[in-house]
Amino acid sequence: MKKIYCNIKKCLGCGSCEIACAVEHSKAKELNSTISENPLPIKRRRAEFVEENVAISTGCQHCDNAACVTACMSGAMYKEAKTGLTQHDRDKCVGCWMCIMTCPFGAITREKQEKQVVKCDLCPDRDKPACVEACPTKALYLGTLKEFKEILK
Amino acid sequence: MQYVIIGSSAAGISAVEAIRTKDKDSKIIVISDEKNPLYSRCLISYLLAGTIDEKKIWYRKDSFFKNNKVEPLLGVKAIGIDIKKKEVAVSNFAGEGLKPSPANKENVKFDRLLIATGASPKLENIPGVDKKGVFPLRTIEHMTEIQAMLDKVKSVAVLGGGLIGLRAAYALKNRGKDVSVFVKSGSILSQIVDKDAAILMQKRIEEKGIKIFTGVAAKEITGDKSVKGVALDNGSKHACELVIIGKGVSPNIEIARDSGIKTNRGILTSDFLKTNIEDIFSAGDVAETNDIALGESSINAIWPAACEQGRIAGLNMAGEKETYEGSLAMNSIEFFGLPVISVGITRPKSAVYEEIVKKDAARNIYKKVVLKDGIIAGAIFVNSIENIGVIGALIKNKVDITGVKDIILEDYFDYGKIIPLIKKSKKGFREQEFKETILTL
Ligand SMILES: Cc1cc2nc3c(=O)[nH]c(=O)nc-3n(C[C@H](O)[C@H](O)[C@H](O)COP(=O)(O)OP(=O)(O)OC[C@H]3O[C@@H](n4cnc5c(N)ncnc54)[C@H](O)[C@@H]3O)c2cc1C
Ligand code: SF4
Ligand code: SF4
Repeated sequence: MKKIYCNIKKCLGCGSCEIACAVEHSKAKELNSTISENPLPIKRRRAEFVEENVAISTGCQHCDNAACVTACMSGAMYKEAKTGLTQHDRDKCVGCWMCIMTCPFGAITREKQEKQVVKCDLCPDRDKPACVEACPTKALYLGTLKEFKEILK
Repeated sequence: MQYVIIGSSAAGISAVEAIRTKDKDSKIIVISDEKNPLYSRCLISYLLAGTIDEKKIWYRKDSFFKNNKVEPLLGVKAIGIDIKKKEVAVSNFAGEGLKPSPANKENVKFDRLLIATGASPKLENIPGVDKKGVFPLRTIEHMTEIQAMLDKVKSVAVLGGGLIGLRAAYALKNRGKDVSVFVKSGSILSQIVDKDAAILMQKRIEEKGIKIFTGVAAKEITGDKSVKGVALDNGSKHACELVIIGKGVSPNIEIARDSGIKTNRGILTSDFLKTNIEDIFSAGDVAETNDIALGESSINAIWPAACEQGRIAGLNMAGEKETYEGSLAMNSIEFFGLPVISVGITRPKSAVYEEIVKKDAARNIYKKVVLKDGIIAGAIFVNSIENIGVIGALIKNKVDITGVKDIILEDYFDYGKIIPLIKKSKKGFREQEFKETILTL
């Protein structure tokens, strides 16, 4: 399964991934107009500090046995059989926050007004997710675990 | 191989899905006394409130049984289990007005059986509970019946300040009714949150016009055939046309009675969710499992636990050897825009527990973690809930958090902050996804 991996050794915690993610998931998909949108688009990744000068960019890990899917009371969170990704169906979501309660990575964010949640969807409209492209140090990588381990060598 | 599953809700459906990941062809028979069981029980109060479309409660497609090659026996009640013959006795006439009895039963053979019969609402033991207009809220049928009489209802009394009582109160307020909640104990949601969180929630609920009376219980439901009011134990009377009883649930263990299957409050299970009888499993609201925070056998009658237990039981029925990590009490509740999530032990009763609390009145934020020997046993987050799952991971993996104690309730306490703990942990965090995040550390 392809997903996004972060090389902690390269991550600066600069937050470029966060901005790129928010812009990609905005209406305008372009920074200048995005910042005047109401509500502001929500980022689905966070650059989080582990300790001083050590950071990781994290988001949905598309878990194999996904706690959010098990907890979801409406069937909105589901595993996509073809790709193995954890997907979210807005038409089903009721905004109960059970998925937030159970995701060990804190990867899900509320859309308070809409009573919906958002999380990483690997940018369905792009070849490469926006965050991966935006990372100035190439700390983010899209691929399989095997491929990621390969490039670490 | 023939699998039989009694109960077709969270636990039963998850078990079907799990079995089918390992065994595509063997026969699965699902027995349910509800005729249309593929709805999400948790969502019936949302539907009553009118905040979601009807279609949202059908959380699995109509074609679920067909797609999973399940033979459903719907509107059929299981009435006994013969563990020697490996048979379930079922009554085909449930719901048709006839009481299940040995005279109209049939037997269904099983090789592996799952008891996922869930729980039933406890009814108040006071005069008048049999009057027209008194309801629990557990099934879609209850919800439909309540809905059908709403035109004639102006005032509602909710007996019980637990999750279901308050969800019903919220729903009926949303439908324009005058709602009063009578809570025997000193505070609402006393099984789920602590006093401070309860006060914040009660304030918000009352601001929106629902009346809450604590320390008062109903002693009688008055009226002729239909409800006209409730008489309270403080001597006063309250007029209403509808009474909702939210007094908690009790596990449906009758099916196991006299069968040789061991029960306590619920059906006892092993780490594999097997009962004391070979080839018979149990999961969901009816099953007792090891509670991670309490460290003892208990029932956590919640949706995520029912689904996870159903999944593990299903896998083991199909021949896997999956261990269940244990259950953890948890709830997510939002009334009128104030979200609250609680996990594990939130009202510690002994001095061995330590509490760390953060209050931010301006932002309506309240956070607390409960610790025992440096390990988190429970938490409540009010109005700042995004990272509570990270706390949940620390509870499940029994990590000593002494090193991060000072920052654990800060807004910025996120997954990144627990990475050093994951790296250090020898026994916990077994899932691949945790390991992947620390590969490069
Ligand atoms: C209004 C409401 C709101 C809720 N909200 C939440 C929430 O926010 N979060 C949360 O975690 N949980 C919530 N719950 C609890 C949650 O719904 C349950 O924990 C969950 O449904 C348990 O699933 P289960 O499969 O174990 O049992 P159940 O859902 O009880 O299903 C058991 C099924 O088996 C059938 N059955 C029982 N005995 C027999 C028999 N002898 N023969 C044939 N069929 C039988 C029953 O009719 C039923 O269909 C809520 C419940 C209600 C009622
Ligand atoms: S949202 Fe959280 S639990 Fe769900 S798949 Fe993503 S990381 Fe896993
Ligand atoms: S908030 Fe939406 S996706 Fe999350 S558990 Fe509830 S219904 Fe499912």
